[in-house]
Amino acid sequence: MSTTTPTHDDPSSSSPLLEVRNLRTQFHTESGTVVAANDVSFSLDAGETMGLVGESGAGKSVTARSLLQLIDPPGEIAGGEVIFEGENLLDYSEKQIQRVRGNKIALVPQDPMSSLNPVLTVGEQIIETITHHQGMERDEARAQAIDAMTDVGIPDAAERIDDYPHEFSGGMRQRVLIAIGLSCQPDLIIADEPTTALDVTTQAKILDLLNELQEEKGMGILMITHNLGVVAQTCDTVGVMYAGNLVETAEMHELFRHPQHPYTRGLIDSIPQIDTAYDELPTLDGAMPDLTDLPQGCNFAPRCEYATDACRTGGDPALEPAGPGSSRAACIRTDEIDLRQGYVPDDVERTEKQVDRSGDPLFEVKNLKKYFSAGDGVIGNLSLSRNGGGIPKLERRYVKAVDGISFDIYEGETVGLVGESGCGKSTVARTALKLLEPTDGEVYFDGQPMHEMGDSEVRSLRREMQMVFQDPHSSLNPRKTVGQIVGRAMEKHDIATGEEKRQRVRELLERVGLSASAAGKYPHEFSGGQQQRIAIAHALAVEPKLIVCDEPVSALDVSVQAQILNLLNEIQAEFGLSYLFISHNIGVVRHICDRLAVMYLGKIVEFGSIEQVFDTPFHPYTESLLSAVPHADPTRKSERIFLEGSVPSPLDPPSGCPFQTRCPKKIGEECETVVPDLEEKEAGTGHYLSCHLSIEEMSEHAGFVQSEQAEQSEAQHGD
Amino acid sequence: MYNYLVRRLGFMLLTLLFVTVITFAVTNILPGDVALLILGPNATDQSIQALQAQLGLDKPLYVQYIDWVLGLLQGDMGTSLRFDEPVAQLIGEKLGRSLLLATAATAIAVFFALPLGVVAAVKQNELPDLFASMFGFIGISIPIFLWGLVFILVFAVWLGLFPTGGYVPPSEDPIGTLTHLVLPASAMGFALTAYIMRMTRSSMLEVLSEEYIKLARAKGMTQRVVVLKHALQNAIIPVITVVAFQFSYAFGGVVVLEEVFFWPGIGRLTLTAIQSRDIPLLQGCIIVVALIYMLSNLTADLLYGYFDPRIRYGGDD
Repeated sequence: MSTTTPTHDDPSSSSPLLEVRNLRTQFHTESGTVVAANDVSFSLDAGETMGLVGESGAGKSVTARSLLQLIDPPGEIAGGEVIFEGENLLDYSEKQIQRVRGNKIALVPQDPMSSLNPVLTVGEQIIETITHHQGMERDEARAQAIDAMTDVGIPDAAERIDDYPHEFSGGMRQRVLIAIGLSCQPDLIIADEPTTALDVTTQAKILDLLNELQEEKGMGILMITHNLGVVAQTCDTVGVMYAGNLVETAEMHELFRHPQHPYTRGLIDSIPQIDTAYDELPTLDGAMPDLTDLPQGCNFAPRCEYATDACRTGGDPALEPAGPGSSRAACIRTDEIDLRQGYVPDDVERTEKQVDRSGDPLFEVKNLKKYFSAGDGVIGNLSLSRNGGGIPKLERRYVKAVDGISFDIYEGETVGLVGESGCGKSTVARTALKLLEPTDGEVYFDGQPMHEMGDSEVRSLRREMQMVFQDPHSSLNPRKTVGQIVGRAMEKHDIATGEEKRQRVRELLERVGLSASAAGKYPHEFSGGQQQRIAIAHALAVEPKLIVCDEPVSALDVSVQAQILNLLNEIQAEFGLSYLFISHNIGVVRHICDRLAVMYLGKIVEFGSIEQVFDTPFHPYTESLLSAVPHADPTRKSERIFLEGSVPSPLDPPSGCPFQTRCPKKIGEECETVVPDLEEKEAGTGHYLSCHLSIEEMSEHAGFVQSEQAEQSEAQHGD
Repeated sequence: MYNYLVRRLGFMLLTLLFVTVITFAVTNILPGDVALLILGPNATDQSIQALQAQLGLDKPLYVQYIDWVLGLLQGDMGTSLRFDEPVAQLIGEKLGRSLLLATAATAIAVFFALPLGVVAAVKQNELPDLFASMFGFIGISIPIFLWGLVFILVFAVWLGLFPTGGYVPPSEDPIGTLTHLVLPASAMGFALTAYIMRMTRSSMLEVLSEEYIKLARAKGMTQRVVVLKHALQNAIIPVITVVAFQFSYAFGGVVVLEEVFFWPGIGRLTLTAIQSRDIPLLQGCIIVVALIYMLSNLTADLLYGYFDPRIRYGGDD
């Protein structure tokens, strides 16, 4: 990427590829006009990658879609100019802009699972773009489509071109979307959260691919993302958006080294780093203001620790040059405050949480298995197959979602389950709580064998075990008030009724950081973060001993995510709770868990304390997971380990070690034939690994941890 | 697909078995002694018993049931009491006519409903949508037989374009068959149009808000391509279910329309069977109508596979 240094500040350079001036896009709603993008101006050169970051609702996607006039009613582009190749795209008629879309400027959308038309072959979806814009014959277009698929790294493109989207994995579908974007060799690609829906290992590959393609083809990229890690990996310049405004623009390294706007600083600090230990995550308190009811002064003032009276009353500041470099910031105090120093976890005050593991564990799972029938059988899992022709045979087919998992959780402890989508981590939680009937295995809660209990006994035990889900919006009953939702749980388990109940509900709501008056409102009146607080209050209402958190912060913005994680930590200390914490985000897990299990294809591959899992010896899978996390710090570019292919189907898992088909450290036949046991490689450490390698071999090549210091100094030197 | 087909056919047989049990049970509970009905009120006990023995009605019920099902499996549905002809032959005659009417009505309905539904969805809440919705509501809220009467009045009596009713076999006069078909098929088709249009509209609206439609627009595709190529093929899948259901309804459920147009189909035959306590005939009619329901649903499911590749390969990976 060093070859594509930004040139837009160079006065001698010709006009930029894209120049956006004072763009304003608004939506007419029942509660008034919402200005989703307000006075947005920036420019982008050929060969440059510009990041547009911000939390949900900041106006990034609206801005990007406005460039192509892709705003549906009730939205409208109310003003501004989008200069591309010397012409204002906003003046174009629908017919004219259609010739630009997909041709000169291509959009790569966010969600690979829903952005491809399920009834058309991927080839058709690429070819139609080419024939439409370039008037090519189908045969010629087909050849060009195959080239585009090859360019984005889809293996056997010529054979796969006639396949349908559902026959591709998520990562491959994202590649198809990029191939569609590239198919007409556009000058500009707008990538709208292109990796948000993907697992980290896949994300790493896609980002790498975008960087490579840009070097090769020299187009400009407008990268929209909420993830500063992605920005640090890919961008040359960055624009930070907040409540519809661009609040800071800067050269990427400058942004991280010397942010000029307090919001930028807060965003950078909110991200839990995988190599840093925190006592408490730094947070940005509060949430983005309601766009129909913006504050008097600076939009960020209510959350800003540097805000003065002038900030609160003086109107929203304009974007102006700030600092020594080329940065611009919308902050009246930017010259007075120094934001160079980020949050430093205070090592002295860090209190090591002590978990007493001498007694019996609170929750223990032994050899848990959950098989699902494959669902395509004639009756249940009995399936007719005609392998190799001949008479159809009946055979049983299973998806082994969870295949022999054992772990334990002690009182006051947080145990994490981490792994990529489809590894079975959520099924473990649901099966262990008997929300799903286990196929086999033992589950003990407080010494009581849950696997032997009947439904009614399990139901009464549920009081001790609560769950918090990923999406609070769909897990809270929309027709009940918050007070009813939280109070109902207390009544059901005979904890409190009447006035006592209402009093306790108020206390709980205040405890999770809401006001007591929230009890009379309905869930939809709250933001995502607040809804998750309600879900936590609901779980706490029955005074449980264990809370299973299934991706509790994955749907939340980073600043809110940090608030929720801190809340979970606080109430754990206060109530002596235990957590089973399920997440795909290894940075989050690092911050909240005491011990961690890494899962792959229904099995635990590594289990140990946070320190053990995040340090050598590594299971090769853990190592690649850690290496793939994009660092929200451009000076720490890690050497990423790319995994071959994608996760095998659990219907037909590989022989031997489940990871052997993708393992970069595979040693040979042993891996293919012998299933490795999950065992303590060094007796007494409590660090379990499931791998045929020796400790020494598992400690090698941990480049992304050891060489960090060296790279850091080198990178700084290089600037 | 293979597993899926085997499973579907298995379920169909099972359902059919239930239908035979229920049909048999209900028709035997119906009041009225068949032998008495045939012989009239003046029959002697002896002659009644003799007839019962001849018809097998003196055997235990389960034996009668088994005999009947075994007969069905061989295509023998018994003999009509009223017409004294094999039930299979009676039904066979009417089957073709009812299928003809149902197919024509469904075809007319689909022909009008699909474009209307698509236009209504694309122009949501605009004038074309309002007109289509109104048209739909009128079609739904007025009973089919009334449409039949209105059509007869306007097109047959006033304008004299088509005959008022009746049926001519195509072997005698194919053009006559068609002219006799037009009015009943249009009346029924008009009523069916409303349902299919509403379904098309809501299905299209759902699909039009999908991400892949946004991407198609972002690729620069024209409105025509977006709607007809990207949206419609997805939106049509739930519509197929409704069409299949409407088809079977048109086949067996519109006795009153057959009455209005003197269309001698399965509906009228069933009515005759009920009125004359012709139990074998009634049983046969019910089984055939049930079979048509199941077959049209199976066809719908197989059509899904044609339109949706996820289903096409879903069962056999």
